[in-house]
Amino acid sequence: MKQHLGRQSGVQSVDVSLIDGKVEIVPKEDGRLDPPQLLKAVYDSGVSVAEMEITARGKIATDASGNLVLNVNPNQSFAIASNNLSKELEPLAGSAIAITVRGQLYKKVEGKTKRKPDMSAPLRLFVLEIQKKE
Amino acid sequence: MNSKKFALFVLLGCALPPVSHAQVKHIQMRVEGMT
Repeated sequence: MKQHLGRQSGVQSVDVSLIDGKVEIVPKEDGRLDPPQLLKAVYDSGVSVAEMEITARGKIATDASGNLVLNVNPNQSFAIASNNLSKELEPLAGSAIAITVRGQLYKKVEGKTKRKPDMSAPLRLFVLEIQKKE
Repeated sequence: MNSKKFALFVLLGCALPPVSHAQVKHIQMRVEGMT
């Protein structure tokens, strides 16, 4: 799995802890890292993902439906799930302020074992912490 | 450009924080079924 993940685009390094089942991925500076692709790569290795958290820096915007999104680069954005922290981000939509957030991008549905997540559905970012506004 | 102006540019360049790119900075996963 470590080698398979290490071959994915935008991956700088992969650290796997067998004891607690944690996988840490450090992206390259090129910004080509694709979290949904990483999720698929893990399942392709025969392992299931219980949850995935990301730390990302970007700007808040709204999509065509008026939902909040985090734009991390021109080709990549994450829809933001509504919670108390997302309400703090609403006033920043469309502004030049860049924020750094930690959030949960995927959590396995209880009861499903070794089943691939639905890759056609966009991953939603559930904000856990707003680390920086600048 | 005289040396004073050049020194001022260097000083300002060091004093201003570097502009980091918007991007995914870190990913952590918890996986199951790993042997």
